[in-house]
Amino acid sequence: MGSISFRNVDKVFGHGTGGVKALDDINLDIADKEFVAIVGPSGCGKTTCLRMVAGFEAASAGSVLVNGRPVTAPGPDRAVVFQQFALFPWKTVRENIELGLRNKNLPVGERNDLVASALKLMNLETHVDAFPHQLSGGMQQRVAIARAYVLDPEVLLMDEPFGALDAQTRVVMQEELVRLARHNPRTVLFITHAVEEAVYLADRVAIMTRRPGRIKEVLDIKAVRERENWDSHARIEDVMDLESFVHLRTHIWKSLREEKGFKDV
Amino acid sequence: MASVASRRTLIGGMTVIGLVVLWFGLTTFTGLVTGARFPSPAEFWLSLKQINGRGYAGSTLASHAFHSLKLVLMGFTVAVLTGVPLGLWMGWNRRVEAFINPVFLIIRPIPPLAWIPLAILWLGLGDAAKILVIWFSAFVPSVINAFTGVRNIDKPILEAARMLGTPRLRMVREVILPASLPMIFTGLRLSLQASWTTLVAAELVGALVGVGFVLNMAQQDIYPGMILVGMVTVGILGWVTTLLLARVERRALAWNVAARD
Ligand SMILES: Nc1ncnc2c1ncn2[C@@H]1O[C@H](COP(=O)(O)OP(=O)(O)O)[C@@H](O)[C@H]1O
Ligand SMILES: [Mg+2]
Repeated sequence: MGSISFRNVDKVFGHGTGGVKALDDINLDIADKEFVAIVGPSGCGKTTCLRMVAGFEAASAGSVLVNGRPVTAPGPDRAVVFQQFALFPWKTVRENIELGLRNKNLPVGERNDLVASALKLMNLETHVDAFPHQLSGGMQQRVAIARAYVLDPEVLLMDEPFGALDAQTRVVMQEELVRLARHNPRTVLFITHAVEEAVYLADRVAIMTRRPGRIKEVLDIKAVRERENWDSHARIEDVMDLESFVHLRTHIWKSLREEKGFKDV
Repeated sequence: MASVASRRTLIGGMTVIGLVVLWFGLTTFTGLVTGARFPSPAEFWLSLKQINGRGYAGSTLASHAFHSLKLVLMGFTVAVLTGVPLGLWMGWNRRVEAFINPVFLIIRPIPPLAWIPLAILWLGLGDAAKILVIWFSAFVPSVINAFTGVRNIDKPILEAARMLGTPRLRMVREVILPASLPMIFTGLRLSLQASWTTLVAAELVGALVGVGFVLNMAQQDIYPGMILVGMVTVGILGWVTTLLLARVERRALAWNVAARD
C-alpha cells in the first residue's frame, strides 16, 4: 500500500507580511502503485509538494496523507531521489546502497542479496567499490535510484531526477525507469520540467499554476497509453512520434505557456 | 602532471641553492654581514657540532627537540580530542552553540600567548604549563573549523540520511563526521601551527629544556650561531609534523575530489 493524498494543502514560507505563499489549496490523490508526474513553471511549488510527502516540510494548512495517515517525519517507506543525487561521497557505491538496509537491521545475508539485485537492476555491478566522484552523472543517479529502490519503499519521490543529466543519458535513464516501473510497480511522485518526460513516464500528469501553486489540471495518460498501445514501442523516440503522444504533449505545453512567459518554455 | 611537479621541485631546489650561495656570499666571502649579526655557515656548523656533542643549555639538540616535539604532540592531541567533538556538537545542536558561543566571543580576542604568564603562575616552568597554553591556542581552530564543517554540510545529504532512517549515533559517525572531515583537517593544520608557535613562545618565556629554551639561552649568551640552530630545528620540526598530518589527511580523505592533488 502506498497512496498519497493532498487535502486542501497550503504552504507559506516565512511569517506575517514577509511570508510567501508557495502553495494554495492543493488537492491531489495518488493511488497505490500509480505513477504521477507534476509539471509546472519553476518556483510554482513542485519541490515543496514532494518535500511535504517526504516529511522534510510541514503543511501550513490542510494535510498530506500517506496511506491515510498524516506525514510527520522522513522515513524509508518514502524513498527520495534527489536532483543533485545527494550520495554520500565518502561511501562506495555498495556502502551508499547498503546504508538504508543496515538501518533496517536486516541480517547480513539478506542485505547482501538485496544489494546485489539492486546493483544488477541498475547495471552497477562493475562499479561496486567506486566512490561517487569517480562516476559519471548518469552512474551517480543510478546509484541514487538503487539506494531508493533497495528499501522496497511504498512510495518513491523523485524531484527532477534527470535534470542534471545530459540529453543522451537522460533518455537512457527514462527508458530504464519505465522498465523498472513495469518490473516492480511503486507509487511514484515524479517532478519534472520536461513535458515529454512526464507524458512518457506517468500514468497521470498534474499541471500546476505559477506561484502560489495550485493544481490546474490533471491529465490521464494511462488511458491513452493503453488505448494506443504505446508499450509496444521499445524506444522512447518511437513513442514520442505517435500522434496520441504529440497531442498530449502539445496540450500540456499550451497549458504551461499560459502560466509562464514564452521564454521559459 | 609529473613534468609540472618535477619542474616545481627543480625551481624549489634552485631557490634553496640560491639562498645558500647568498648566505655564503654575504657572510664568509664578502663579510658584508658580520658574525655578530648573523652567523656564517661555518659558525652555524660549529654551533651544531657543539650542541650535538657537549650539549648546550643543559642537554643535546636531540633531547631538546624531542622534548619540544613531545609537548607539542601532547598539547595538540588534547586540543583536538576536546576541540573537534565540541565543534561538532555546537554545529549540530543550536542550543549548545547558544551556550558556548558567548564564552568564545569573550576569550577569542585574547591572543593565546597572553595566557602564558598565567599558565606559568599556575603550573610553574614545567611541562604542564606548556601543555595548557598549547591547548588554549590549538583548541580554538579545531572547534571553529569542526563547527563550520557541520554547518556547511550539504543539506540534501543530511536529508538523504534521514530519509534512509539513519539512527542518531550512526548519523554522527557515518554522516556528520565524514562530511565535516575536510574542514576538520583544515582546523587541525591551523591547530598544529598554533601549537608550535605557542610552545616556542612559552619556552622562550620560561622553561628548563626545549628548543625555545635553547633560543632563549643563545640570545642571552649573544650566540648567533646557536640561535640559528634553534630556529632551523623548530622549522624542521614544524615542517615534518605538518607533512605527517598532510599524509594522514590524504589517506582519510581519499574519497574527496577537492583533497586530491
Ligand atoms: N525553505 C524555503 N524558504 C523560503 N521560501 C522557499 C523555501 N523553499 C521554497 N521556497 C519558495 O517557494 C516557492 C516554491 O519553491 P519550489 O517548491 O522549490 O518550486 P519548484 O520546485 O516548483 O521550482 C519558490 O518561490 C521558493 O522561492
Ligand atoms: Mg524544484
